[in-house]
Amino acid sequence: MQDYEVEFVERGDREARFLVRGITPAFANGIRRAMIADVPTFSIDQLRVVENSSVMFDEQIGLRLGLVPLTTPEGEFEIGDEVTLALDVEGPSREETTETVTAYSGDIVSSDELVRPADDNIPIIDLKAGQRLEVEADAVLDHGREHAKHQGGVAVGYRHLQQVEVVGDKGEFADDEPHILRGVIEDDGELIATDEFDNDLTERYPDKELAVEDVPNAFVFHVETDGSMTVEDLVVRAVDSLRDRADELRESVQL
Amino acid sequence: MMVPVRCFTCGNVVGGHWEEFKVRTQEDGEDPEQVLDDIGVERHCCRRMLVSHKDLVDIVAPYQ
Repeated sequence: MQDYEVEFVERGDREARFLVRGITPAFANGIRRAMIADVPTFSIDQLRVVENSSVMFDEQIGLRLGLVPLTTPEGEFEIGDEVTLALDVEGPSREETTETVTAYSGDIVSSDELVRPADDNIPIIDLKAGQRLEVEADAVLDHGREHAKHQGGVAVGYRHLQQVEVVGDKGEFADDEPHILRGVIEDDGELIATDEFDNDLTERYPDKELAVEDVPNAFVFHVETDGSMTVEDLVVRAVDSLRDRADELRESVQL
Repeated sequence: MMVPVRCFTCGNVVGGHWEEFKVRTQEDGEDPEQVLDDIGVERHCCRRMLVSHKDLVDIVAPYQ
């Protein structure tokens, strides 16, 4: 495969935007799909309810716990591995009838410190006087294609990098409608996210005649994660999974 | 009932922002648009999760 280069436009732990040059549209889409469906994450799958006297059914609590993102370290676990977690929260005492105690995702105790809730402040259920929730849960490592709760990537997508060129001045009586563009533009080799000028090219190039073109084989990815891993980890693991499958294919068709 | 953990449409985790959103819009009287921009809930699918939510545990609790 030919070389490709990666350049970050925005970079954060859970959200990033980066430009990749020199890949085909098919490969770009392959990476996107791998990020969504092929990178496994831990998620609560089985629940043993010891006591649930809250206002929600066991199944509803189970659904909510399943959606809580859990941190997923690289290379430590295999598909199908389980980690046990527990949640035990008690409502206020019987006398305080107007008080409420909330069980948060941060109250979940894990048997493995590598796998723990990525966010501590997600409310699971409000408990009133005399109510109690005690559950034991098994988190399992699986692919996003099995269940959406195992998806590490959220709203993963890409666009062509767009090149903007000034070709002249606008005519005196030309309409001054906004020229809306989203994504990242390239102007003389400089990368500019369109939200810097409110997604409107007429803000950046007033009264100019413009030519906007897609740059061939240059894609700007926008990747967010649910917190189970960093963006960097997600992308690297997605590309690794593609490589693994390509290797597997090469081996299986060899004579 | 309780605020959804994730956005129904995109799967972004929004549950963790609910309490801050509730305090700032209902008690401090801030503009919901401003608050959502502030806490970084950008897409309109995620924004509707918080804007349209109503806590119902207090209403349901007496009928257990």
